[in-house]
Amino acid sequence: MNENNPSRDVFDAIADPTRRRLIQLLSEADEIPLHELTVQFEMGRTAVSKHLTILKEAGLVVDRKVGRETRYRLNAGPLKEVQDWVSYYRKFWLTNMLRLQQLLEEEEE
Amino acid sequence: MSLQLTLDFEYKTTIEKAWNALTNSDMLAKWVLPNDFKPEVGHQFQFRAEPNQYWDGVINGEVLVVDEANRLLSYSWAVGEEKHTVNWTVQDLGNGKVNLHLEQTGFSNVQGLEGARYGWTNWHGELGKLLAQ
Repeated sequence: MNENNPSRDVFDAIADPTRRRLIQLLSEADEIPLHELTVQFEMGRTAVSKHLTILKEAGLVVDRKVGRETRYRLNAGPLKEVQDWVSYYRKFWLTNMLRLQQLLEEEEE
Repeated sequence: MSLQLTLDFEYKTTIEKAWNALTNSDMLAKWVLPNDFKPEVGHQFQFRAEPNQYWDGVINGEVLVVDEANRLLSYSWAVGEEKHTVNWTVQDLGNGKVNLHLEQTGFSNVQGLEGARYGWTNWHGELGKLLAQ
């Protein structure tokens, strides 16, 4: 499993509010150990770790062992796909809405 | 999958004309795409775009909500494997102005739906910043 060939859909990975919060926390630091992430949530270390695994499968986080602790860092690249989806439909509807404006304002004349 | 796009657009028109533009097949053909839409809950329809090498151009939908009194319209929007929901709200702003509010969401399951409602909107603003890093 590597960053270029993630085994999980990025959209699934961000569907959960805990995982979005994890992404946000990781975006605010270079690297955060698991125990520091865990204290931010009202759930156990195992549960947080499971969420991190899902993010890892989507290529959104990278982990490394330092002594006895695991440290996590964000890899925002796969989020591009999400941004592309939003941009595509934003453009689609904005173009249509401008066309509708012409239609409705023609009618007014 | 869990995503949400929201857009607002203001028009100088009446609420009736805006509603008609959203629900009348001939009007929809003029500003969205050719279609066989009818504002009846359960009606299945298609919007047809120009086909290209990746896509047959067909958008399949089903009408989910038609609430004319509250000016709410909702339908599903499926392109290939992707299934979205499109929600429209027409709001009277007074002074001959009307706002069209669009929400398009994409989900694979109910948990996704709840997840998207909770926090996606705020979170999405951060996306650009994250990608710029």
